[in-house]
Amino acid sequence: MKRRSFLKGTLATGAAAIAVNAGLLTPSTVLAAWNKKAFESKTTDDALNAAFGTASAAKSGDIELSAPAIAENGAVTPIKIDASKMSGVESIAILASKNPMPLVCEYSFSGPAIGYVSTRIKMGETQNVMAVVKAGGKLYKAEQEVKVTIGGCGG
Amino acid sequence: MSIKIRMRGKSKGGVAEVKALIKHKMESGARMNKKTGKPYPAEFINMVEVTVNGTKAVDAQWSGAVSANPYVGVKVKANKGDEVTLSLADNTGKKGTETIKLR
Repeated sequence: MKRRSFLKGTLATGAAAIAVNAGLLTPSTVLAAWNKKAFESKTTDDALNAAFGTASAAKSGDIELSAPAIAENGAVTPIKIDASKMSGVESIAILASKNPMPLVCEYSFSGPAIGYVSTRIKMGETQNVMAVVKAGGKLYKAEQEVKVTIGGCGG
Repeated sequence: MSIKIRMRGKSKGGVAEVKALIKHKMESGARMNKKTGKPYPAEFINMVEVTVNGTKAVDAQWSGAVSANPYVGVKVKANKGDEVTLSLADNTGKKGTETIKLR
């Protein structure tokens, strides 16, 4: 009996390992559910409430937000946020205040990660880009205006 | 069809910057097809995850407002030879994953 269950067990795990190797089961399919409510919010405050439970964020000089002053093409606006000066960074969100749905992306950090995000976003019109950093349970933000000459939303 | 990813990363003094380019059209669902007057259906990556040697480091959620053919740049504490994996999924269920060894 013991031998039988042992064999069964090895066979089952073997099959699972093969499936992983074949890429059928990616090890990280246990991604958290997509925060639909936050991403479909129409204002920055609503989006922050849905994502973090509060919309009050203090301005902080420790967040380095680099965005172009003038974006020639709103469909590809490079944004870089460096919050590595702050300790206990839990997550970083990027919001474009006048986009139809302001919340662009939200990164949460754990373990070996450092509070740094670099990405490219779409912007519909000239507006403020807001970086919201959650560190030590509190929200901090940095803002910068980006002039957009060609919109990148809809069209 | 899985999503194509090009990725590289280099460790310097215990901190590695990992950069990846993803091939994806990132259709937000708001863009109109002028011929039919109907919007193009939404198709964008909404889940992104970065792991270092199997430990979860970054877990990101995206909307359709991330540019087409997205660029991902993150920094992690890792050394040369560590394995960094980027996995992602879009709202239609397509997935992509890529693993590199840090230089």
